[in-house]
Amino acid sequence: MESKVPVFGRFAEPSLLILVSLSDGPKHGYAIMQDVEAGTGRPMGAGTLYAALARLEEQGLIEPMAPVDRRRPYRLTAVGASNLAEQLRGLSEYAQQGLRQLGEPRS
Amino acid sequence: MRSLLIRVYPARWRARYGDEFEAILEERALGPFDVADILLGALDARLRLRGRGADLQKGTGFSMSLRVGGTAAIVGAVLFPAGLLISFLDESDDLFPGAGLILAGTAAILVALIGLSSFQARQHPRLIWAAFALPALGTVMSCLGLVGMALVGDDELVAGMSPWSIWMLGLLATIVGSALFALATYHTRALPRVAAGALATGSAVLLFVGLFGSTGIVPGIDIAAPALTFAGLIASSIGWIAMGWTAIRLDQPAAAAAA
Repeated sequence: MESKVPVFGRFAEPSLLILVSLSDGPKHGYAIMQDVEAGTGRPMGAGTLYAALARLEEQGLIEPMAPVDRRRPYRLTAVGASNLAEQLRGLSEYAQQGLRQLGEPRS
Repeated sequence: MRSLLIRVYPARWRARYGDEFEAILEERALGPFDVADILLGALDARLRLRGRGADLQKGTGFSMSLRVGGTAAIVGAVLFPAGLLISFLDESDDLFPGAGLILAGTAAILVALIGLSSFQARQHPRLIWAAFALPALGTVMSCLGLVGMALVGDDELVAGMSPWSIWMLGLLATIVGSALFALATYHTRALPRVAAGALATGSAVLLFVGLFGSTGIVPGIDIAAPALTFAGLIASSIGWIAMGWTAIRLDQPAAAAAA
């Protein structure tokens, strides 16, 4: 699967989950953690969250907004939205290929 | 503790993220998994700020936690009873390999408790911290007891206790910690309840034998003790292995998706 998505190494999966969480609007860190846990059933630790947020911000895929109290929301940038769409399309094709290989009908 | 954890991060990182990070830590109870995750995050931040990057490491914090915890649970479930069995069968006065295996098994169970506690810590933070702290204390006591046995044999080591007694208390602490972890897991259904039940039952049996096996308080316990110990070890090992195996399998879909 060829991709122009920046390489995030061990933070590739958390980064994708954060981008998906931000796809319906800006969220602060704790809301992202709750969103990811509700969506995947897997907790995301604060250390992992901020390591991934720092990378995403550095790559220009998300941007910080003005903090509210001490909570700082983040939002997707246009580049981030485009990269997320690209990643999700790639994953979707990959999933469809897997389902075909398993002999299951396409959804 | 929260401010201490934040201070592990480099100053430049704290200047940028410190306030919001602290706000997040105040939002939820922290378990051993969270602390390990934050320490790894701090290490990552330090490496990144030094320009070395940390991308060579594989696996996310959570995936790595599941994989390491699951593997440690299986390793501990094998080493701990193997050590006890060897110590039981070995008629010589040699401490090794039996006691060494028990110690290694205890340490592995400690790692398993950290790695597999990510789900339970949200709902039962105190229980999970106790489940971690007791085996941690038990590991220290086991080490102290082993060193004591090598140095002074059966003589008093500290507070009127022989090295063997200290070692035994360390073992019991590990067993109690395992039982608490099983209880939290059973309540949260984070891992198979059958496995948690087996671990809880096995730990309870081992604790019962450990506390009353040689006191004569319970009639016939001295005769039944070996069989009960064996049954307790088997049950708790099955529990740990089943939980470890499930955790490793839980990690697989995430690894495939990220590939």
